[in-house]
Amino acid sequence: MDNSVLRVENLSVRRDGQLVVDGVNFELLSESDTALVGPNGAGKSSLVAAVLGLLPRQTGEVWVLGHRLGPAGELPHGVRSQIAYLPQSFALQGRFPLSVAEFVAFGFDPPGPRLPWRNRSKRRAAVLVALARTGSSNLGAKLLSELSGGELKRVLLAFCVVRPRKLLLLDEAQAGLDATASEQFQELLLQLRRQEGWTVLQVSHDLEMVRRSCDQVLCLNRYLRCSGPPTHALNPQRLAELYGPNVVAYQHQHHG
Amino acid sequence: MVDSAGVLAQPFMQRALLGGLLTGGLGGLLGSFAVLRQLSFFSDALGHSALLGVSIGILLGINPTLVLIPFAVLFALLVNQLVERSKLPADALLNIVYSSSLAFAVVALSLVETYRGGIQQLLFGDILGIGWLDLGVIALLLLGAVLYLVLSMRAQVLLTLNSDFAGAFGVRANWHRIAFIVLLAVVVAVSIKAVGVLLISAFVVIPACAGRLLSRRFPIYVLSSALLGGGCALLGLFASGLTNLPSGPCVVIVQFSGFMLALLFKAIF
Repeated sequence: MDNSVLRVENLSVRRDGQLVVDGVNFELLSESDTALVGPNGAGKSSLVAAVLGLLPRQTGEVWVLGHRLGPAGELPHGVRSQIAYLPQSFALQGRFPLSVAEFVAFGFDPPGPRLPWRNRSKRRAAVLVALARTGSSNLGAKLLSELSGGELKRVLLAFCVVRPRKLLLLDEAQAGLDATASEQFQELLLQLRRQEGWTVLQVSHDLEMVRRSCDQVLCLNRYLRCSGPPTHALNPQRLAELYGPNVVAYQHQHHG
Repeated sequence: MVDSAGVLAQPFMQRALLGGLLTGGLGGLLGSFAVLRQLSFFSDALGHSALLGVSIGILLGINPTLVLIPFAVLFALLVNQLVERSKLPADALLNIVYSSSLAFAVVALSLVETYRGGIQQLLFGDILGIGWLDLGVIALLLLGAVLYLVLSMRAQVLLTLNSDFAGAFGVRANWHRIAFIVLLAVVVAVSIKAVGVLLISAFVVIPACAGRLLSRRFPIYVLSSALLGGGCALLGLFASGLTNLPSGPCVVIVQFSGFMLALLFKAIF
């Protein structure tokens, strides 16, 4: 049985005329937790965007659950609804008249046109469960624009968990959180990953967290500099090659 | 002052009231998304471009109404590309676009001897001159807009929140973004005759802002924006008929009063 959830072959991405990702190959096996690390401007977000089909590829192929990603990001609805994504920022300007429960309910529906009142009771039940599982039951009636940074990240996880999915991509999802909120978010993510059997690819600058919770690391600086388990990929010599001599600034985010 | 029964008995007034209800509702409906996507300035630019479309039609000797819709759509798509590709802030770019459109249009119209008197009508609209054909077109457009927005509600909301997030969850973000802009362009073009170039953006922006202040649920927000748009248009036209004051500005004054009431309500509760 094919255990591959995501396969990336010879991926190159150009952004604003610059080659930001160059000939990258990797594969994520089912239920693995992989970190994508590298200095700022290394092409991590561009790689994630290209894998999701949000950015055009210069070269290469992306396979999700055995299905080839089309040139404009096309995937069958059934495959697309297996993918979840948490962006780096989710800024809402001013009052946004959408309650948390309404927002999470949109995560329940698969892509494509449909009447909003279809499957109403099923959707409502799934939303209640998703909010409870992410510790957000008290937030259902709040407006999305009224949430704190930590609450918003939990609600985004509720959006992901409201229906079964296989692949979760996170682009510095802890950005903007303080140390405690970041730690709590990571714990919740770990717990949901185990329960849901998610395969995770997360962009992160928190190397201590990567060491503790990820089982594979991809070190990117335009092209893939190294990959493997954290003990192998994050040794001092490789970190110095990847980040330069100031690598110590990226470490020691450990709490508790 | 004219008596209210007399005003309502006039067929042109009945058509105007129905036209106001439909145009106001349509403006509020699309406005509820346009305001959240920060497209308020965009609708203003579209309104001003419509004047340019009319003037081109007149200069070429083609019925301006026939030119207006394709021109507005083409213009909207070009401006959208310009905003996406240039590195300039969208508000500054749209300011350049709409003031230039207005300047070109007024110069072009001043060259046409017979049309000088019509500028006032184009700027402020003539809802009392609305015909059954116009009403039919606006009703069809409203029906189409409701169908499109209801069926694609998930896509519209996610796209409004965050384009990349929407794309990752299967929303065809570019397709829906362009479809919405085209729809907005067609609505602006069709409503220009009734509402006028200078006031069209008020129809899109004011009811939606009032609805945004009053609502905590998305369907209520969209519905209240559309109802406020339609209701304010009815009230404004009725006031205009009773007082013999210009209809378009009367509607906008009622919309503004509604917005102030919403602000007050929000402040108290």
